[in-house]
Amino acid sequence: MAAVTAAQPRSSKTESYVDNKRKEDIRQANIIAARSVADAVRTSLGPKGMDKMISTANGEVIITNDGATILNKMEVLQPAAKMLVELSKSQDAAAGDGTTTVVVVAGALLKQCLSLLSHGIHPTVISDSLHKASTKAVDVLTAMAVPLELSDRESLIKSASTSLNSKVVSQYSTLLAPLAVDSVLSVVDPEKPDMVDLRDIKIVKKHGGTVDDTQLIKGLVFDKKASHAAGGPTRMENAKIAVIQFQISPPKTDIEQSIVVSDYSQMDRILKEERNYILGMIKKIKATGCNVLLIQKSILRDAVTDLSLHYLAKAKIMVIKDVERDDIEFITKTLNCLPIANIEHFRAEKLGHAELVEEVSIGDAKIVKVTGIKDMGRTTTVLVRGSNQLVIDEAERSLHDALCVVRCLVSKRFLIAGGGAPEIELSRQLGAWSKVLHGMEGYCVKSFAEALEVIPYTLAENAGLNPIAIVTELRNRHAQGEINAGINVRKGQITNILEENVVQPLLVSTSAITLATECVRMILKIDDIVNVR
Amino acid sequence: MAIEKIFKDDATEEKGERARMSSFVGAIAITDLVKTTLGPKGMDKILQSTGRGHGVTVTNDGATILKSLHIDNPAAKVLIDISKVQDDEVGDGTTSVVVLAGELLREAEKLVASKIHPMTIISGYRMAAECARNALLQRVVDNKENAEKFKSDLMKIAKTTLSSKILSQDKEHFAQLAVEAVMRLKGSTNLEAIQIIKKPGGSLKDSFLDEGFILDKKIGLGQPKRIENAKILVANTAMDTDKVKIYGARVRVDSMSKVAEIEGAEKEKMREKVQKIIAHGINCFVNRQLIYNFPEELFADAGILAIEHADFDGIERLALVTGGEIASTFDNPESVKIGHCKLIEEIMIGEDKLIHFSGVEMGQACTIVLRGASHHVLDEAERSLHDALCVLSQTVNDTRVLLGGGWPEMVMAKEVDELARKTPGKKSHAIEAFSRALVAIPTIIADNAGLDSADLVAQLRAAHHTEGCNAGIDVISGSVGDMAELGISESFKVKQAVLLSATEAAEMILRVDEIITCAPRQREDRM
Repeated sequence: MAAVTAAQPRSSKTESYVDNKRKEDIRQANIIAARSVADAVRTSLGPKGMDKMISTANGEVIITNDGATILNKMEVLQPAAKMLVELSKSQDAAAGDGTTTVVVVAGALLKQCLSLLSHGIHPTVISDSLHKASTKAVDVLTAMAVPLELSDRESLIKSASTSLNSKVVSQYSTLLAPLAVDSVLSVVDPEKPDMVDLRDIKIVKKHGGTVDDTQLIKGLVFDKKASHAAGGPTRMENAKIAVIQFQISPPKTDIEQSIVVSDYSQMDRILKEERNYILGMIKKIKATGCNVLLIQKSILRDAVTDLSLHYLAKAKIMVIKDVERDDIEFITKTLNCLPIANIEHFRAEKLGHAELVEEVSIGDAKIVKVTGIKDMGRTTTVLVRGSNQLVIDEAERSLHDALCVVRCLVSKRFLIAGGGAPEIELSRQLGAWSKVLHGMEGYCVKSFAEALEVIPYTLAENAGLNPIAIVTELRNRHAQGEINAGINVRKGQITNILEENVVQPLLVSTSAITLATECVRMILKIDDIVNVR
Repeated sequence: MAIEKIFKDDATEEKGERARMSSFVGAIAITDLVKTTLGPKGMDKILQSTGRGHGVTVTNDGATILKSLHIDNPAAKVLIDISKVQDDEVGDGTTSVVVLAGELLREAEKLVASKIHPMTIISGYRMAAECARNALLQRVVDNKENAEKFKSDLMKIAKTTLSSKILSQDKEHFAQLAVEAVMRLKGSTNLEAIQIIKKPGGSLKDSFLDEGFILDKKIGLGQPKRIENAKILVANTAMDTDKVKIYGARVRVDSMSKVAEIEGAEKEKMREKVQKIIAHGINCFVNRQLIYNFPEELFADAGILAIEHADFDGIERLALVTGGEIASTFDNPESVKIGHCKLIEEIMIGEDKLIHFSGVEMGQACTIVLRGASHHVLDEAERSLHDALCVLSQTVNDTRVLLGGGWPEMVMAKEVDELARKTPGKKSHAIEAFSRALVAIPTIIADNAGLDSADLVAQLRAAHHTEGCNAGIDVISGSVGDMAELGISESFKVKQAVLLSATEAAEMILRVDEIITCAPRQREDRM
């Protein structure tokens, strides 16, 4: 019954009585597996949380503090543990930040569930009560939240830096937080003020320098160098930029073709024709006044040949080749131009205009910057620098989290205190609420309330403080009505956390609570693992 | 013995008692596996794939669980088959049908043990099933005439179906969604017009119903992002190049300019094709295959919205809802049916941009966008919603409605019991057994909810002794309650299908007295 597996289908079918013991075991095994996943990331929570080093199967090393990344690379096999990984991914998608928090909360809830189950409470009762508690929790959080105006740049920066403070790059938070805020605000479309598409923010990573050199660029950056082959220009003022999707090379047909050369003079002619063909194309390009060419990568034939580069250089046209097709949309949106797929369609009105296109060397590599774009679309580019690949990658992830935080604030304009304050307040209010509920529900809601204390507890623990002393102190303060009291990790004591500028978006907290509850409820309802094809 | 071997090597034969034993055991094991998922407090199962990727599915849907099992027992396969049939026919009750068949077999096993001939059991079961069906028929409620009441019936059915699924917390919301979607169909059972799109992120409550059609694709570069009064041509054609698909076709030329000419000719051909398409007087072109940069630009120049690489399912459905036809040649613009819709625009759900077609020709069409924490949740939500939609669309056609919560089983059991008392002979044992099997369903529902099933079922039986009683198991409060007041309803069609197919399956398995397992086909790569 319980284990109709491929291995022993026959022997297992001889039982026909209900074996409840095994079901208990499955649920317990699931909970324990999921909790061990939660424990693995627990130490990375909070501003003094630690990082994890992950060495992947192909020998790559990643150092990160980002819960979603850690879990993603862990390659867990146990189904329930996998669900926790999925959970952190959904938090990443929903809010972008709080990926560790959500897993830690789920772990704590599961721990409480285990003890509830051992008291003989039916899993569905627990599951229903958890759902009730989480809806109530969201109400409490919403009541605590402080509304925010998008013009209030200070508050936005504060919440971005709260997110950044827990990362490897925390010492740069003064630089990265305003950067994140500015880049998000610059892509907000006034027509749809609630929507931010993070794809409009391009992050370019470049080796060399330190994170300090990270900058926001109003324009475009290509992680490529301009073609130098024939001494073409590398700097162009008053640029007229064309994005082309065809190739400047000898013609090639889709049908298989071959040129038959039968005598010596023909060879000369072929070479001459090739030259004329390319020259013809370049003349057409030049005629429109274009002086910067961005050429889309092609797998079918060479984007440019030495010959065409030579002519382009002579015509004083700057060339950037091998632009990925996926990037074309971003580029055309930024430059406010249209891609050109055929030489016949090469017209002046399809070009984009910029004041300056130049190749800049950064460290030992070169990049191409386009600035002063006329009628620029709502996009931004952030150039992330760092001393080594690990730092750059982590900086990028942290920046992404910060961007998400700002995005959350744009779509739901409420702030809430950080530093464990909302969790302890929730725990207090739900604890009080549980007393007015009847029967099992009250009991389960009380456990839910207790589970939430795991966040301040872990924050204190990770900061090297005495968790019990801190949490009880915190509880005490909240009981006295200081709903914004939280753990100030830097000072190692309880302070009004709003005054300390530790704030986070409401959306991060609410989605962490609802998603964690949803996941725990799902794990609770499972009573069997069946192996299937 | 003269005959040494009748069968091939490895072929086995099980006879008489042994064969029957083996079928019983197999069928009952399957029943036990799925029976914990029955009812509003049923549990879920993790299905862990042993294939590549070790994919994980969490589900409560009987048909899904059974479909993916490895099964070697022939009788168990019969049960899986009836669950599949139930899924195709009515969509819901896939667990119930297996559980009932299993219980019938469990009772039959006892009867066989007490030396009652299987044929006698079968005829008893048949009589009982007929009687049970009549009992239900007498008690059905049909609100076909009263649209208002009928809609509330549908809501109740949807809520009852959903309450045993993952969507139970938001069942009010989803029942509303499902009923609205099905009402739009106006009696057709073509669920294809209801499209379900899953997008991770948000919570289940953020799911919504949208009229029209949503395509998970991007609009080509430089093309209009919003079109009113769109004329849509749906096509399945190569928009890269018309390759000459003759092996070894090649051209030989003797100069570069001729290559350029050929290239130009190829381009020209594509341009002609695009012109032909444009000549249809359309302003939206949806292609199943890729559209290369060149034609994309041509379309952009003509102000036509071109969507490339739509999946097969997507274009078929799009053609259906917009009332167009999938075209692959463009020489006769008159003969091609072009789809229409009022508005095409780009919308954003979660982090993704999608294309929304609203005001489509086929008014029934609508899209349900599901949001949820993870893929597991979404997949399960889709299965649950699909069940609800199936049941509802069936109910719209067959408007007879019953109460739920173990009520129909108790009504049937009571009638069948009466019949048993009136029937002389050994058959009456079988009829009695049938009634016991029916009662097993409320018993399991109570057991799954962690309630005292023996006590509850006894109370329920007592309650049903009075005429016109509406008593059933109220799982939420853990007592016997009035199903009509609680608004727990089920479709008659589902119940009838459960009853009849379960009886048939049980009958079929009972008739078996010999199992011959053929020798497995030899595979050479086995080693």
